Amino acid sequence: MIKIEDLSVAFGGTEVVKHVSLELREGEILGIVGESGSGKSVTALTLMGLVSEAAQVTTGRILFDDVVLREAGKPCDLRIYRKYRGAEMSQVFQEPQTSLNPVQKAGKQVEEVLRLHTKLTGEEIRTKVLETFQAVGLHDAERVYASYPHQLSGGMRQRVMIAMAVILHPRLIVADEPTTALDVTIQNQIVELLRKINKEQKNAMLFITHDLHLARRLCHRVAVMKDGCVVETGTAEEVFDHPSQDYTKRLVEAVPSRVKGKSGIRGRSGELSAAEADSGTSESPEGRKAGNGISEVPEERKAGSRISEVSEERKTGGEISEVSEERRAGGGTSKVPGERSAGSSGAAPVLSVRNLSVYYQDGKSTLSQEQAEGQGRKKISLGSRLFQKRGQCVVWNADFEIYSGESLGLVGESGCGKTSLSKAILGMNRHIEGEIVHNSVRPQMVFQDPYSSLNPAKTIGWLLQEPLRAAGALDKSLAMTRADRETAARDMLRRVGMDERYFDRRPSELSGGQRQRVSIAQALITNPGFIIADEPVSALDVTIQAQIMELFLKLQEEMHLACLFISHDINVVYRMCDRIMVMKEGHIIETGETEEVFAHPKEDYTKLLLWGS
Amino acid sequence: MKKENGKKWNKYLYAGIVMTGIAVVLGIVGFFWTPYSTTAMSAAEKFSAPSLRHPFGTDNFGRDIFSRVMRGLGATMLISSLVVFFSGLAGILLGAVTGYFGGILDEVVMRITDALNGFPSILLTLVIISLLGTGRQNVIISMSLVFIPSFVRIVRGEFIRLRDADYIRRARMMEVGKFRILFVHILPNVFSVFWVSVMIGFNNAILAESGMSYLGIGVQPPDASLGNMLSDAQGYLQSAPWCALAPGLTIVWLVLGFSLFSEGIRRRASAAGV
Repeated sequence: MIKIEDLSVAFGGTEVVKHVSLELREGEILGIVGESGSGKSVTALTLMGLVSEAAQVTTGRILFDDVVLREAGKPCDLRIYRKYRGAEMSQVFQEPQTSLNPVQKAGKQVEEVLRLHTKLTGEEIRTKVLETFQAVGLHDAERVYASYPHQLSGGMRQRVMIAMAVILHPRLIVADEPTTALDVTIQNQIVELLRKINKEQKNAMLFITHDLHLARRLCHRVAVMKDGCVVETGTAEEVFDHPSQDYTKRLVEAVPSRVKGKSGIRGRSGELSAAEADSGTSESPEGRKAGNGISEVPEERKAGSRISEVSEERKTGGEISEVSEERRAGGGTSKVPGERSAGSSGAAPVLSVRNLSVYYQDGKSTLSQEQAEGQGRKKISLGSRLFQKRGQCVVWNADFEIYSGESLGLVGESGCGKTSLSKAILGMNRHIEGEIVHNSVRPQMVFQDPYSSLNPAKTIGWLLQEPLRAAGALDKSLAMTRADRETAARDMLRRVGMDERYFDRRPSELSGGQRQRVSIAQALITNPGFIIADEPVSALDVTIQAQIMELFLKLQEEMHLACLFISHDINVVYRMCDRIMVMKEGHIIETGETEEVFAHPKEDYTKLLLWGS
Repeated sequence: MKKENGKKWNKYLYAGIVMTGIAVVLGIVGFFWTPYSTTAMSAAEKFSAPSLRHPFGTDNFGRDIFSRVMRGLGATMLISSLVVFFSGLAGILLGAVTGYFGGILDEVVMRITDALNGFPSILLTLVIISLLGTGRQNVIISMSLVFIPSFVRIVRGEFIRLRDADYIRRARMMEVGKFRILFVHILPNVFSVFWVSVMIGFNNAILAESGMSYLGIGVQPPDASLGNMLSDAQGYLQSAPWCALAPGLTIVWLVLGFSLFSEGIRRRASAAGV
């Protein structure tokens, strides 16, 4: 039906698509997979006639039912396209946020398609739109019809986009990363929906994605693109199970998969978690005491349990603050050395969180800035306090521990409280109840977006030295000479696998993967013992993703680092983490060994998350 | 298009540098040496038209206009630079603190700047001058005060934008000191925007200073300034137009040159992706 023959597209002399030939048959789903910059989107946009005017087709042509849509050397002919676009072919975009007009009701926007392409009357159009909304799983069709895009969730918006794309029963649907911006469970629903539509309406689908799992599940055939060339095509099974090209092999291998074995790091953690297994995850103080026999710990426990009792009856104000005062003074700083040595034996928690509830409050904090700072400085923030004001609870009674050298995965969909929890642990949110005990120096965080997490005005070397300078300024015993700092920074740069010549460069000269390496180096240079990684690989291409994950595992091994690994990608978590914690709507609903949780998920929601991908 | 912008030297920058450069050199030289004395009068050479002896002619007292323009140029640029320097400095300090910390201080400072913005700036300077008295340093003080709000707004906006950037959040996590975050981590990222406003501010200061001297509250005669030369010359517009043309065109030259210069800088910066 669609034939792309020897297509090359160039932007101002640089070819971004090189001699691509593809064929799409009636009723078939063809996946185009590849990393960012591989030319997959440009290919699709050229097919749709939506590519910008700066792009020139230098060779080849595109045929739709043997009619030439686009040919080398000729500009895009809108008259031809007008006949096909909408009625015969339509597109679903990646960003449901921006692809709907925010000032028009969803229903009106879909109606417009019908008004332009059919001669139906107003009432017929309305009925048809509502029918289509039903068909794409928007069961509350009337309400959606009358809603503005901002009143709809991401998944619903994407369904509206799909409704818009399928309402005329086009023979070709181009879906450009339609699920990338969505949560895993929603992602599955959308994929199922696309599959259903394909089955019912028998339209051909061009599905563009960087997610190989998705491509494998949905597509009949797959084309792998790299640097503008199609390196391999074939049925999904052929390509993924028996890739013939090196690049495809690398790509497939790079994808974190739970079928594959894990690296050696798991061996060590196995012992660790064995000890943990008998005490269970909702530990009793006794079990823990028996487990490691460190004198400080029971004391700490006692304090902890006392607090949680008090917090239970938090309506009776003053008491709590008293107790936390006491604890701040008594249980605080003296503990650190003992715990440190215990840490190296591999049994003491680097972080323990007890009965933690996190609130979001609009009003000002009743804690003064000074108090808050003071608590943060002591590394042991015992933030239990009373909330007279109404605050929205975003995390309920979280209860977990992280041990030295262990990584704990935190999975859940957006808005489930993952970020709020991590902020509370880092002391960035003081609206908390319960307790958080750190036994490491101040934890650091690696952010998701490598492009915004490095100061663009500074050189890499400066950035790496800054944590050392800050630590030195805070605690004179940690102060280092300029030369020492520089050596440490260079050393760290090497450890994250980067050449020393990057020392004097600025972040803008680095690629995403390199920036993430620098980010990691910056977080680890003070040897914090514990870091929080918030989706550290989600913004990266698969092959880069794999490298960064390797690096993480290597550094964890070397530095005996505990890590709270936040991700929505269940496969990444499987690869990286010893234990995982599933979070839903502010509650931690399941905790356990990674293997165990994956093999025998207890909760329905966990199953949904796992089956999803 | 992209390539043209990507050049290190674009035509705006080039023209701007040449024009501003000539003005700056003349102005600086004017402080130390002028072809003739700027105050020596000569009844014999009153109102002589531009010639080789007097390239811009002479005025009603027979003073050489070229020399006076040189001296006036220097005075105007010195005053404008100082005004921009002081108000820019105050703008950075206030903008940084209010933008980053917010709260009560922010409210108070912003309401004051709102109040200042509520009056025409020239009127406000007049009021301040009438309180302080005329004279060069009072002109600088009053204009600096009036120029502060625009800098505060720009700097504050940038600090608000950047205070929640990931890299600043990380700096906080490293327990970098507050003022170090403010002036070492954030400030360098504000400069690209700040420079543009400094350049616009400089141009406005030139115009404002000329205007005030024209009104007789800036540089006092017999000292030369572009503004008071204009005001002296307005009686002889018909008979000796060069008396007004020379300082007038000099102001245009200076402002145009500097505008081109700042536009060139801006284009270069945006081409470099800053």
